[in-house]
Amino acid sequence: MTSALAPIVISCGEPAGIGPEITLGAWQHLKSEIVMAWMGDPRHLPEGTPFEIIDDIGEAAALGGQALPVLRHDFACDNRPGHPDPANARGVIDVIAACVDLVQRGAASALCTSPIHKKALIDGADFAYPGHTEYLQALAGGDTRAVMMLASDALRVVPATIHIALEDVPRHLTPEVLRDTIRITHDALRHQFGIDAPRIAVAGLNPHAGESGAMGRQEIQWIAPLIAELAAEGLDLRGPLPADTMFHARARAGYDAAVAMYHDQALIPIKTLDFDLGVNVTLGLPFIRTSPDHGTAFDIAGKGIASSTSMTQALKLAAAMAASRG
Amino acid sequence: MRIAFAIGDAGGISPELAARILADEEANKGDMMVIGDRRLLAQGEADAGVTLDLPVLSPGDLARPLPGGSFMVDLANCDPGSVPQGTWSAEGGRAAIENFRCALLAGHVGTADVVFFTPFNKHAMRLAKADYVDEIGFIDATIKAPRSGREFNVLDEVWNARVTSHIPLRQVADALTEDRIVESLELTTEIMEGAGFVRPRIGVAALNPHAGDGRNFGTEDDDILAPAVARAQAKQLAVTGPIPSDTVFVRAVKGEFDAVMTMYHDQGQIAMKLLGFDRGVTLIAGYPFPIVTPAHGTAYDIAGQGVAHAGATKNAVALGRMLAERLGKGRAEAEEEAADLPALFHRALDPDAVWG
Repeated sequence: MTSALAPIVISCGEPAGIGPEITLGAWQHLKSEIVMAWMGDPRHLPEGTPFEIIDDIGEAAALGGQALPVLRHDFACDNRPGHPDPANARGVIDVIAACVDLVQRGAASALCTSPIHKKALIDGADFAYPGHTEYLQALAGGDTRAVMMLASDALRVVPATIHIALEDVPRHLTPEVLRDTIRITHDALRHQFGIDAPRIAVAGLNPHAGESGAMGRQEIQWIAPLIAELAAEGLDLRGPLPADTMFHARARAGYDAAVAMYHDQALIPIKTLDFDLGVNVTLGLPFIRTSPDHGTAFDIAGKGIASSTSMTQALKLAAAMAASRG
Repeated sequence: MRIAFAIGDAGGISPELAARILADEEANKGDMMVIGDRRLLAQGEADAGVTLDLPVLSPGDLARPLPGGSFMVDLANCDPGSVPQGTWSAEGGRAAIENFRCALLAGHVGTADVVFFTPFNKHAMRLAKADYVDEIGFIDATIKAPRSGREFNVLDEVWNARVTSHIPLRQVADALTEDRIVESLELTTEIMEGAGFVRPRIGVAALNPHAGDGRNFGTEDDDILAPAVARAQAKQLAVTGPIPSDTVFVRAVKGEFDAVMTMYHDQGQIAMKLLGFDRGVTLIAGYPFPIVTPAHGTAYDIAGQGVAHAGATKNAVALGRMLAERLGKGRAEAEEEAADLPALFHRALDPDAVWG
């Protein structure tokens, strides 16, 4: 039990989704290894969940894994799995803010977020942020850009662009975006993953990384020069590499994280390698934040069939990152 | 059965792989016509630690009846002493082009039933021939093909075909049309049925993240891919999609699909190389004879070390042979007719000859 570290706080996310049940599943799996506390409305936990309400997250360790420590946050109403209630949107949003406060103050060592459903939050509380991560950025203050890392035991990969049409990728992928992504990745590997001299592999945008300009020129025009510029600052970078030959085992042994140019260039390798075991890590925030790499799954919520594997992995990674940061 | 066997790029592991294949009784069934430089193959023998006993013919000897077993046609076009190992060179690229051209011509006139080659390096080929884009364009020009073939990546557990290939990412979305996708699905079904699949099940990868997420991330999945899939289904093709491209391969490998149709190069190549980097075969189909090669590249980093793994290369030979056998004996009738191989090979070696 890593009792020396502050507990990990889990935000409840959308209570009508699978968040409460996968939290229970992950806690059952990890209760003897990791001290954690869940923040939300105890009415939303699956029936029969052994929980105990604590007033302060510092009390979580004392429960010794006998019951799920719960930081109580009362929501407007009870919950019907699969059917988000607009009245509960405010609670979802406020829990996230309260969790960020804990982790900012150091009372929690890391934040693991359960999935939210943006539309439910817009409908119920005029949620104004494009997504979970943007809201966390705003709560964290500062003007840092956050980027998403997908991490499994086999691979860490950071897409420089995410939820946009493939056609829009070349336009959104600017030198500024790529420079920030590489720098944020480098800093996070050092400060949050405990890697002193991180090695980063950067994918090309085009097939065969453009093959000397024959299949696209961005690599020649600015990606390779940008990599050279950052390498001159002392970053250990390689690339732009052909994306199809940089993810097999021998290639992966040569770097600590890969930077991909677009969503599927990052998601295809991680899912092919570890379909159920990938988790999201948000880099660039002033605190550790991980989350399972799936959504609220309303279609199966409350049926007791949701897999808590990704949540378990997200908690394990959060704990490992917190430990390496010390 | 005869396999026209072109030795690939001289600077990488191609000579070593060629020697390994020829020395392997399972891969070399006495039906191979090896095309290249005998000195380069000798270097491959040394790298691989094998000794080959292979009759050597000159292109002029091809006027006479061909020998019964495997033999080599020595083009004397690539002296290993003058080609650097571990990198590309115009010299190596030129020889690879000549070897490939001769092998294609042997297939075209019916002397060979399969064209097989060890890995090329396109950069080297472009140093020698500036307008070399990819294999398909080169094949079309060499044999004056009425329609272009398609490239497939083949693993035992899943095949992969793609709608667009060696084009910049920026051009992919514009290059996708309903017709083009339907045609790709039809051709893939036809080729796979030729390989023994009965109504092959094809999963179609979405273009955009999360298949466009209800038009939030691009409209092509709803407006182009979905109608194309519906049209293919109406033609009784066993097609499903569009499916987010980060899950379609996982579903295929679990047994749901025989093949995945991807929209662009890296979408399929990333997954296929992860699933079977040492096993994958590239098949170029849609011509009267199958063209096969290992899916991996020239591996300059391990050239000359004697550590090249020949698994994918053996798989390529086996797939080519199987497909040619299934293509039937119709072509056998044409074999050994009055094709003037010496003249064709002579022309293939003429730097001034115009093709296509």
